Amino acid sequence: MSTDATMRSSRLSGNGGTIVSFSDRLLKSLEYLGFKARCHNAAAACDTVARLLAEQQKYVLYKELFPKEWKGSKASFYRAGSYKRYSERVNELFELVNEKCFPFLEYWHDDPETDFERFAIPPLNFDLCCEEIDFDNLRVSYVAGLLFYFRDEEVWDFFSQKYDLSAQDFPKLSRSPHPNVWLEKQQARTKPYRDLIRLVDHSTGNPWLDLTHCEYQELFEWNKETIEMLTTAHQDAGKAFANLEKLDERIDENPRRVLSELISFWNIGRLLSS
Amino acid sequence: MNGKSPLEILIDEKEQINPAIILADELMRRAAAELLSVEDVAKAERVLEIGAREIEVIDVHRKAFLKSQPTPLSYVPYGF
Repeated sequence: MSTDATMRSSRLSGNGGTIVSFSDRLLKSLEYLGFKARCHNAAAACDTVARLLAEQQKYVLYKELFPKEWKGSKASFYRAGSYKRYSERVNELFELVNEKCFPFLEYWHDDPETDFERFAIPPLNFDLCCEEIDFDNLRVSYVAGLLFYFRDEEVWDFFSQKYDLSAQDFPKLSRSPHPNVWLEKQQARTKPYRDLIRLVDHSTGNPWLDLTHCEYQELFEWNKETIEMLTTAHQDAGKAFANLEKLDERIDENPRRVLSELISFWNIGRLLSS
Repeated sequence: MNGKSPLEILIDEKEQINPAIILADELMRRAAAELLSVEDVAKAERVLEIGAREIEVIDVHRKAFLKSQPTPLSYVPYGF
């Protein structure tokens, strides 16, 4: 067989029909030789075991989360992928999670040398501490929630221009919210206000909504529970913003009444009319 | 120290190959596509813990030896 033919050749391995190409076998041999050259170094052996275990855990995760894609995958177990510390197969897992579960690769993970043993997610909420916020690009209900956190004329100017309402039209805002605001159980009328304040306060319990760029980034592990939790939480985060649409409509219909109710809920934990 | 030199103490120590070396060799011989079972992973994690502890112990011994005072021999070595 010529060298070219050998390079192109592939064979069935003894592990249930997985095709191992010559190039993969060559890469594995090189990896093995590199390992043998330092195999009597216990510290290096510990590193090797830890790396192989982490890799295996990702393969198991791939197979569990995306069995169909795993079965049809031709990605190499040995050749490095775009994230150079990981095989093409592991890179495929990263791509699938990014595509089918939640987007995260663009965020702080654009370095091909990234160590991905744990990963960060991009915050979906606004950073109130240092982000330049353009009120005109926000949902009007979110701007209403900012009244309690920014406490400056700029927010009232927005309502003044849009609805001809000013701070003098409403009771003074308490420094901090009434404890009832944080209660889990709410009436149908107060729930949208509770949800809005939680969202603006970054206290939803949803990592996509509560994390900010400014704080120390939370890192997540590669395991099934975490991926499933983040997938559900990402969908919920989308719904949390979509739910503001109804509140927006109510504000558009009667801004004075809705802002009064919201301020009353913040100040005394209930709606004045109730 | 029973009159033994540091080298003699070291030689007398019970010795074994760090289990991580043996496991690393086993894992490197497997095909990556043959996924490890939950038991395999648990076993590997235990070995990793033992291997890392063994390295720490040796490191502690090494530091202790470095701190030990030089002791003169009771005889003059050949050639001096």
